[in-house]
Amino acid sequence: GSGWAAVCEKFRTARTLSAVESRKDPETEPYRSKYSARALLQEVKQLLSAAEEGGEARLVAVRRAVLEYELGVNHTDTEELSAGEEHLQRCTQLLEPHRLSPDCVSLYIQAQNNLGILWSERDEIKTAQTYLESAEALYNQYMKEDGNPPLDPSEHFMSEEEKLTDQERSKRFEKAYTHTLYYLAQVYQHLEMIEKAAQYCHTTLKRQLEYCGYYPVEWALNAATLSQYYLSKQCFMESRHCLAAASVIFSQAGQVPSAEDNETEQDQQDLRQRKAEIARCWIKYCLNLLQSARKLLEDNIGELDPDRQLELKAQRKKEEDEKEKGRKKAVLFGTSDICDSVLAMEEKVSSVYPLDFQEAREIFLVGQNYVREAKEFFQVDGYVTDHIEIVQDHSALFKVLAFFEEDYERRCKMHKRRIDMLEPIYADLNPQYYLLISRQLQFELADTYYEMMDLKVAIGNRLEELDSHTIKKINSLAQLAIKYYELFLDSLRNPDKVFPEELEEDVLRPAMVAKFHIARLYGKLITSDSKKQLENMQTSLEYYTFLVDYCEKYPNAVRAVETELELSKEMVGLLPTRMERLRAKLCPFI
Amino acid sequence: DLRDSTLPLLNSPSVEGDAIKVYVRVRPPSEGTALTDGDQGLCLSVLSSNTIRLHSKPEPKIFTFDYVANMETTQESVFSSVAKNIVESCMNGYNGTIFAYGQTGSGKTFTMMGPSDSDNFTHSLRGVIPRSFEYLFFLIEREKEKAGSGKSFLCKCSFIEIYNEQIFDLLDSASAGLFLREHIKKGVFVDGAVEQVLSSAAEAYQVFFVTSTSMNRESSRSHAVFTITVESMEKNNDIVNIRSSLLNLVDLAGSERQKDTHTEGLRLKEAGNINRSLSCLGQVITALVDVGNGKQRHICYRDSKLTFLLRDSLGGNAKTCIIANVHPGSRCFGETLSTLNFAQRAKLIKNKAVVNEDTQGNVS
Repeated sequence: GSGWAAVCEKFRTARTLSAVESRKDPETEPYRSKYSARALLQEVKQLLSAAEEGGEARLVAVRRAVLEYELGVNHTDTEELSAGEEHLQRCTQLLEPHRLSPDCVSLYIQAQNNLGILWSERDEIKTAQTYLESAEALYNQYMKEDGNPPLDPSEHFMSEEEKLTDQERSKRFEKAYTHTLYYLAQVYQHLEMIEKAAQYCHTTLKRQLEYCGYYPVEWALNAATLSQYYLSKQCFMESRHCLAAASVIFSQAGQVPSAEDNETEQDQQDLRQRKAEIARCWIKYCLNLLQSARKLLEDNIGELDPDRQLELKAQRKKEEDEKEKGRKKAVLFGTSDICDSVLAMEEKVSSVYPLDFQEAREIFLVGQNYVREAKEFFQVDGYVTDHIEIVQDHSALFKVLAFFEEDYERRCKMHKRRIDMLEPIYADLNPQYYLLISRQLQFELADTYYEMMDLKVAIGNRLEELDSHTIKKINSLAQLAIKYYELFLDSLRNPDKVFPEELEEDVLRPAMVAKFHIARLYGKLITSDSKKQLENMQTSLEYYTFLVDYCEKYPNAVRAVETELELSKEMVGLLPTRMERLRAKLCPFI
Repeated sequence: DLRDSTLPLLNSPSVEGDAIKVYVRVRPPSEGTALTDGDQGLCLSVLSSNTIRLHSKPEPKIFTFDYVANMETTQESVFSSVAKNIVESCMNGYNGTIFAYGQTGSGKTFTMMGPSDSDNFTHSLRGVIPRSFEYLFFLIEREKEKAGSGKSFLCKCSFIEIYNEQIFDLLDSASAGLFLREHIKKGVFVDGAVEQVLSSAAEAYQVFFVTSTSMNRESSRSHAVFTITVESMEKNNDIVNIRSSLLNLVDLAGSERQKDTHTEGLRLKEAGNINRSLSCLGQVITALVDVGNGKQRHICYRDSKLTFLLRDSLGGNAKTCIIANVHPGSRCFGETLSTLNFAQRAKLIKNKAVVNEDTQGNVS
């Protein structure tokens, strides 16, 4: 009758107060609307008790459970956890016998969700976990045994003509379950069950797509970030799938008018930045795939191992037939049309290890394209750190591509490309504000010159005799490598220009490697002047000695530089004898 | 929603590789709540100048910091142990940052400013900020005397507020949301923030005080960053040597507001009211990626504005100190514990210089 209509009206007002009005509450009274909503719910509860006479017991119980649920959430929202817990517990008790029936299952799951949240507020994450996992189990059981779209809790206070369509019911039910999974993702992350957490994040994303409950930009960023998790696990197929989906969904973002629909310059800027962020995730994908392939293919001196290459190619042929089977169905994002776009996107880049230069180059080119795209937004003016990180990735792409290149001259040219992109940036950079990046650039430049010098030496070794041009080249590359290693070591000095007595753990290895490489470089310098040669040997010896002495003084350092230390000890033993011989040649009459 | 007001671990190097210094100060209980025997009503005791015991059940917890100042510690002594060194380094071309942290009522304002009823710059109870101004200008004067006309100084200040991940210029009330940008020579800066030239400590204090007291937003929810840029120019024959450094004084949002963020505790983020967005899913995923080590990945979510702005302060050529203020009363146990936990975490902020290096054995 009309009494019931009034009850429903009160109930609806309470819900509106709670969900909509409360957002406008002043900071000084943050819970004003929540308290008004609570008062209304209490009134409804009173009215309900009066109307219970002669009502059907089950219907009454369910309606009461709805109110207990609303009151429970309300108290939790206002930080009254104990009262909130009592209401929610009462709700689940009322529903317990009927929890698998279509008019209760959704409410029961939502009550469990909220008990999960409540216990997490008390830092009792294990308890929260049990509630959420039981909600998950109930959903699965219901879908298996019944599967009809269940009633939404709000429908218990609606007139017949207001009742929801099956489609709407289904949507709301699935949303509540998506939240269960989303909370579980958080719980597993807190419990450091990383893989499980990732799986639940993944499923949450997938369900957001299925039930159209997402903002394209946010979704795309989450998927792109998740791709980076798979990268760290070396799951390239999953990583690529996430990225392809991110790109596809992101491209919808420009087309869908935003909620406010008054796109400001700021929003446009944001959108461009997000696009560049996704491009950066793609760069990392290409880079990791190439680097992992290199790890598989390299021998113990970091060169490509042809036997290994043949072996891996044979193995891959075998696996290709199995490839499609390996695709986990659960991984795939999206409904059919999205799915097709994602698959098309995926086809642009491989997800299997490249095993020769041709294959590596294709991945490299994709990566390089994304470098261009990312740089369009992250320009050096305004985005120094981001811009340099992208350039560093670009350099790393060249470096790993060079590994696959068999021709030493062409390999050298690739390293030259790295120098050309890093040097100008390094020259402009103020180390007072960018010390870390500055050090990284010094070290990388030094390493690149060092590598180029090694290549030139290898090329020279194939010649009958070293020509003066090659000698000049080798020497100048060695000098440049020394220059940058020294710059790096100087950056460790204190304001009074004193080199630290004991090195910090995080710079220990790089500093030692720099010292060791400088020692080797002095050994490589080519000169016909024996005096000069003797000087170089002396310098070389000093640097080797530094390593040996340091490790003697600080035995903890040994672990970080085992190989280098061993070789340094050897050189400290050998060099004086060699120098003696050279001296004897210089002054044969003494 | 507020994204982390805590400091994430940043990979920043430092010349001396020093971790952030953490200074804990225990305020005395308010007048009238006289202490009874045997520490009743108190939830902590200071054991030494760097350890503090929290009377937690069942086991008491012992925390160790760089310094622990007990209730008797004077304003002068706080300044000497925390800020003096930072101001000196600032004169030597380093950047320096002092963070104040603690719940409302833990003595943060008293420590940083002094008694609230006094705008008197020379008050004997004045706090770290006025003393820092004094000391900075004292050092500048001394330098000038030493160097004669060969050396000149220019000090400028800016004062910004970060509220809800938006940046406001407190020296220009007409301005709206400003942006952070980076310059290859000048580092991070707030694009369009007003810079006011300062000629004396009194003037610095005046700007700071007037602006702080006219702030109308609820300050416990926002971070305020007062920055003094010290530029010096030295002429030697024909060579001009220019140095520039920053001193940042940061008032962090009250720690009781930490629960607005997702960094404290284990709260699940409720998504029921959020329409289509599961806004913290991104944070969960980001955390997953963070756990995976190895540098070759990109995380799409940027630092918070605060950590981005103070990127140099958390390493680089910077000296940084956090002053964590706590109230010893038992009623504040929860907040005190979370403040000490935060301070403990801050101690772990290690300035890391990661240098990419391939571990290849291509040693011939």
